[in-house]
Amino acid sequence: MLNNPYIKVLFTAIGTIIFILIGSYLIAQLASFIAKLFGVKARKRENIFAGYFFASPWIIGFLIFVVVPLGFSLYWSFTDYRVTSGQPAQWVGFQNYTTLLTNDDNFKASLYNTLYLTVFGLPLEIAFALFLAVLLNQKLKGEKIFRMAFYLPVVLGFNTAVLLCWRLMLNTGTGIINQILRALSSFGPFNYLMRACIYIQEIVSGFFLGLNNGNFNLLDKILAAGFPAPNRVPLWVQSPLWSKMSVVMLIIWGCGTMMLIFLAGLNNIPKELHEAAEVDGATSWQRFWKISFPLISPYIFYNLVVGMIASLQIFEPIYVLYRDNQPLVSSAISMVYYLWQKSFSHFEIGYGSAISWLVLIIILVVTLIQFWLQNKWVNYDVY
Amino acid sequence: MKKFSVVAMLLIVAMVLAACGTPSAAGTQAPAATDAAGTTTLKIYLLDYTADTITWLENEINPAFEAAHPGVKVEITQGSWSGWDTTFAGFFAAGDGPDIINLGSEMNTLYGPSLADMDSYLGEAAWPEITNFGPALENAKYEGKLRGLPIFTAPRYVFCRTDLEEAGGWTTGTPKSFAEWVDFAKKLTKIDPATNSLTQQALVPVDAASMADWQWWLLVYYSIGGELYKANGTPNFDSPEALATTQFLLDMRQATYGPASDAVGSLPAATGSVIDVDDATGANNGAVCLAHSGWAAPAFDRPTWDKISIDPFYGDPANFPNSKPVVLAFNDWLAVPEYSKHKDLAADWLKLAFTKEANNKWNETMGLIPARNDSQYGFVTESPQLKQEAELASQYGVGFAGIKESAKLQTIMQDALGKLITEELTPEEVLAKIQADYSAALQ
Repeated sequence: MLNNPYIKVLFTAIGTIIFILIGSYLIAQLASFIAKLFGVKARKRENIFAGYFFASPWIIGFLIFVVVPLGFSLYWSFTDYRVTSGQPAQWVGFQNYTTLLTNDDNFKASLYNTLYLTVFGLPLEIAFALFLAVLLNQKLKGEKIFRMAFYLPVVLGFNTAVLLCWRLMLNTGTGIINQILRALSSFGPFNYLMRACIYIQEIVSGFFLGLNNGNFNLLDKILAAGFPAPNRVPLWVQSPLWSKMSVVMLIIWGCGTMMLIFLAGLNNIPKELHEAAEVDGATSWQRFWKISFPLISPYIFYNLVVGMIASLQIFEPIYVLYRDNQPLVSSAISMVYYLWQKSFSHFEIGYGSAISWLVLIIILVVTLIQFWLQNKWVNYDVY
Repeated sequence: MKKFSVVAMLLIVAMVLAACGTPSAAGTQAPAATDAAGTTTLKIYLLDYTADTITWLENEINPAFEAAHPGVKVEITQGSWSGWDTTFAGFFAAGDGPDIINLGSEMNTLYGPSLADMDSYLGEAAWPEITNFGPALENAKYEGKLRGLPIFTAPRYVFCRTDLEEAGGWTTGTPKSFAEWVDFAKKLTKIDPATNSLTQQALVPVDAASMADWQWWLLVYYSIGGELYKANGTPNFDSPEALATTQFLLDMRQATYGPASDAVGSLPAATGSVIDVDDATGANNGAVCLAHSGWAAPAFDRPTWDKISIDPFYGDPANFPNSKPVVLAFNDWLAVPEYSKHKDLAADWLKLAFTKEANNKWNETMGLIPARNDSQYGFVTESPQLKQEAELASQYGVGFAGIKESAKLQTIMQDALGKLITEELTPEEVLAKIQADYSAALQ
């Protein structure tokens, strides 16, 4: 009977529960014992015991599934460890880190690309989410349907069907996005506007590609070619000049969570403030910039911090768009995609672990700077 | 004291349960999974096979194997080429997973150290039928030792629509030199000024949009006599053949899409093969020639085949006397990982699934050329297209194998070739970068 795999699974599950119970009990006892050492009274020690006993299942899970892998990752980051070599990890000290920082052009390129996606993608995502939230806050009919529709991309994620849809939509010749742009560009002013956007985008992208590369040949050629011809359209998932902007499109598309947070913030603003301003003759525009915008600054700050962390860890949109379009990968590769490539394509787990710790340090520094700067612009007056 | 008793009791129960839960940990040949009747499970991991193939394996091969091996059950898991590397990394990192895994051509060097030496099971002494396998068998070896068996050979040919060639004023057939190809691309590529996009692309290689895939580069390179490594084993990307190949890719890209700073849009997404005709609209899908595997060409029963020629890639004999017609042969193969505890069973299953008849049947479900020479009968010879493909493969086939650190070379080449098509780097700079990066990777 014990050879039956189903019974084994059942025993394993029961064993796991018992392990968690014993582990929780021991942690609670330890907490109680430490409290006793500090002279805590018996009644309070009982509370400490109960508190730790009930919290321990999660503490145990955290230790096993977060702290232990974290420890391994830190150790491996100082080793040369290749999964398929059949050799144990070799200690190399700081070599992985020094190589990454001083001698790895690909990491440098991934850093610049991530910077592009953060500098251009995140503000656009926040702006678009705020725009949608403001629209939805007008209390129009069908608000719930629109809210659901705008949040749907978050639920859908980046699955295969979504990827296929985006590839079709972004097709240069027949994709719906370029079809719409072509239709709109039949109006003279829009045509100029679109070409100007194409020109600026390509110049910026050419600059970033030049940074990756150490020369600016492409940027020179873009400038030499001059203002784009009237029939030019974005070459979305086709050209390295547009590969990052295609990722930005996907980032913007997934702004549903930010939108909901902004919507909650807008709903929390006291109506009296708007009513008083309206009586004083303020226009909608003035009320937004003088009342709504300052009062939702904590929400903007939250979205900025969370969005920045997500941008610095961006992986999925690049993976789904360019996994099968290899020549474009280098023009869009992010730090975490590079981490994945090193760890799971080249199987250099030690080097990949070092990249992950560097990414962590970068995120920590950027987040600390954001918290340090929040005093200058975030307004908590009504909260 | 009461608490202590409870804990002690729980601890004892946990130890007893744990002991019951791992009855087979000590044995090296212990079954990976057994059911109530003590059945051993042989696990096989296949990537992206057709429903017909899986049905055939499950209805014919597995029952026959199970009948011949009482107490053994075969379990097939289907995965996808998208994300396979992450999955396989998990198998090898854990030292546990399927007993037979599905690999691609160049992966013998990538996973070689972690694959089992199967010579004692599948070598000529143990299984004389091994001598019937064609050149694809080399792809299933690492350090001269068999690691598994190849299923099929899928070479890359040049398929051309002769009607579109003639309509474009091209009457000399499939181009046979670099200069002819560039001229061909200029003459037969059509751009719609209204959409600033291609409506007809003279040549669609692997990765139609960039025209700079590393596998395409290697095919062209081999066709002019290029060697990937020098006699001392170092990379050979500083050779004249490498430079000519890189320049050719750039010339073809520019002849098709124009300069990087003013490139046109790619072909619209098509239903079916790019050299086929859309049944709904009657319009061509856009490509005049396709340099790709047979599976990217139209199905064999399509009427378009009346107007399609099949050729190897001819290289550039005028400038490189060592040029030779090449079809770059890819193949799928099944390997046995070193961690497998059922190498003997895995070998037996492979022998059964790779008999003359089985290899033929397996490939019939996919319309591909069997890796065994003696399996190339029936559907292979009955189909004029497949017959011609098989002949070209045996005549001009060059294996896509023996590439050291293939995953790294792929990344290095794709990175550099991506910069070639944007004209960020010149062909010389691209090759210098590949040579330097690949040399470092090999060290």
